[in-house]
Amino acid sequence: MLPSDSRVPSDSRVPDEVPSDVPQESTSDPPGDLSFDPLVRHSRTAPGWELLASELTVLFRRRRTWAMLLALAAVPVLIAVAVRLSSPVAPGRGPAFLDRITQNGLFVGVTGLVVSIPLFLPLTIGVIAGDTIAGEAGLGTLRYLLVAPAGRVRLLLVKYAGAAVFCVAATVAVAVAGVVIGVLLFPVGPVTLLSGDTIGVGQSVLRLLLVAAYVTVSLLGLSAVGLFISTLTEVPVGAMAATIVLSVVSEVLDALPQLVWLHPWLFSHYWLGFADLLRQPVAWGSFADNAWLQAGYVAVFGALAYGRFATKDVLS
Amino acid sequence: MHEVSVMTKVWLRWLPAVAVPAAIAAGALVGPFQASAAATLPIKTPEQLLAMVGANTVKSLSGTLEQTSELGLPQLPTTGPSSNAGVASALDLLTGPHTARVYLAGPTDARVQVMDQLAERDVVRHGTDVWLYSSKDNSATHETLPAAGTDGRTAPSTPELQTPDQLAQRMLAAIDPGTEVTVGQDTVVAGRSAYDLVLSPRSSDTLVGSVSIAVDSLTGLPLSVEVQARGQDKPAFRLAFTDLILQAPSADLFTFTPPPGANVTQRSLPQGDRLPPGQPGTPGEQSGSAAPQHTVSGTGWDTVIGLPAAAVPAGLTASPLLAQAARTVDGGRLVSTALVNVLLTNDGRIFAGSVPLELLQAAAAAR
Repeated sequence: MLPSDSRVPSDSRVPDEVPSDVPQESTSDPPGDLSFDPLVRHSRTAPGWELLASELTVLFRRRRTWAMLLALAAVPVLIAVAVRLSSPVAPGRGPAFLDRITQNGLFVGVTGLVVSIPLFLPLTIGVIAGDTIAGEAGLGTLRYLLVAPAGRVRLLLVKYAGAAVFCVAATVAVAVAGVVIGVLLFPVGPVTLLSGDTIGVGQSVLRLLLVAAYVTVSLLGLSAVGLFISTLTEVPVGAMAATIVLSVVSEVLDALPQLVWLHPWLFSHYWLGFADLLRQPVAWGSFADNAWLQAGYVAVFGALAYGRFATKDVLS
Repeated sequence: MHEVSVMTKVWLRWLPAVAVPAAIAAGALVGPFQASAAATLPIKTPEQLLAMVGANTVKSLSGTLEQTSELGLPQLPTTGPSSNAGVASALDLLTGPHTARVYLAGPTDARVQVMDQLAERDVVRHGTDVWLYSSKDNSATHETLPAAGTDGRTAPSTPELQTPDQLAQRMLAAIDPGTEVTVGQDTVVAGRSAYDLVLSPRSSDTLVGSVSIAVDSLTGLPLSVEVQARGQDKPAFRLAFTDLILQAPSADLFTFTPPPGANVTQRSLPQGDRLPPGQPGTPGEQSGSAAPQHTVSGTGWDTVIGLPAAAVPAGLTASPLLAQAARTVDGGRLVSTALVNVLLTNDGRIFAGSVPLELLQAAAAAR
């Protein structure tokens, strides 16, 4: 059976009569076993794209996904409305950039990201990444996804890609909602950078896109951690909670000066470093450092997830 | 047989999970060693190096500076995205690490950007115009330097950050017979091979272990200044380029117009120069910022500055922060750091110096 077939009815994936357990030899099964099935051969020529498409369809058909995206979009909207209704914010009070909002609506997007990245974004990423494998195991659909040869690596990659796409969607939701509400409620004009220089609207939209890209990259490491934890359990809530707790632990450790030697190795260390993109000229150092760090986390936890998932007895 | 092959497969699948962290760990361990692989440069005497520093003509550069201090002061945790203000930030300058970008083009165009988390402090000099900008409160201050001040080679410095060049020049100017000047092992700073000029006090009555200045082997530009304290492995203070390009940066960096909505203040300079900033680990510096009535005892590295009770700011001794940092010793209270000891006597006087407590107590007793 082609995996994508089993996934079309989204949440209500009903297990039917298919070969049950796929033990660890699944990837090494002689291809002859299944080669009579033309569907399988087809899916091997287009490796994983259909699986990815169906994964994204399932992900973005879920009401939970949209509820989280809406909640994220509500953060900058709340900030903007609160600032609009209250008296002007004194410079230096509240979250960074808050006092700039009244002068320029484009800052609402940046302020929204500053406020979201310590908690709200990790929270939603934790839910999505923790659900990847454990969610399928909890629903009892995991073994049906693994009937295809070499299914495990591909399934892991597809699941991770799905979580990464959600990272993009989450960041874009905050940034776009912020810009839209900012344009509606506040004037738009030249943007003052941290260095005190001003840039035009076109340039500042470009910078905002860069910031969104930075934040997305920042969340990839956490997604990989969540993917690994998700392979450890069949209880999705446990994997989600563990991922979120780890992100909070990482941020707490990052705030302890006694552990300064550890800080460059924490995946949350560069989360607020996107401010370097708002300097003149742009300081690319933290972007590169962050990308390397996240790539390291993806490599380590991707390898761990592979080791665990490829050797796991999938019974559900 | 089948069992064995299954086990091998299981191990093979865990192999990446072992290999990837091992590769990263190996890279993390080997990387710094490669970066600091000692260069072999033609041998120079300390005198030649001093002349080289004095004759360096680098006036245009763009670089990134990093300053770290291990003074033994209590560190304040920086929690949350919003940065601290007031006393905490003043203390932060002496404790936490700082990164700044420096741009110099000729003797009169300069820009220093201190990069804080989600904030930045800028000093921009263009000709005789000096702008100070802080993004935290969106405030800009404008100063006009007198025309006589334009001949200097010095860039404007924020109160907390100087270039290694400025700091090294001040330290070299303070060399006296009590200082032994030697040449250490060649090093690499910011990817450039450098000589290591070491100044060490001949006296054993000072907290300063040694000062080492990395001098660029091609241009003579000081690339880093490192102050070692006695009885401490890590340098007590280090200021170094991490990144350096010896080219003039783009000219529009030096034209600063205060952003709309900024709080602009005009400030005039009475003498054409600000008070020298209090930089940790600069021997003999305290004399510059002390009140006129101060007393000086000892020479060179052992100098002790004394302030009579009348010259001490009224609120200072009652400050809760001071109460926290100071400990009670014989004859008063002591604020102790790796490089400087400050004794607040019971009758309200203050004695400070890069010396052990006993010398401060002796100075206090001698009056």
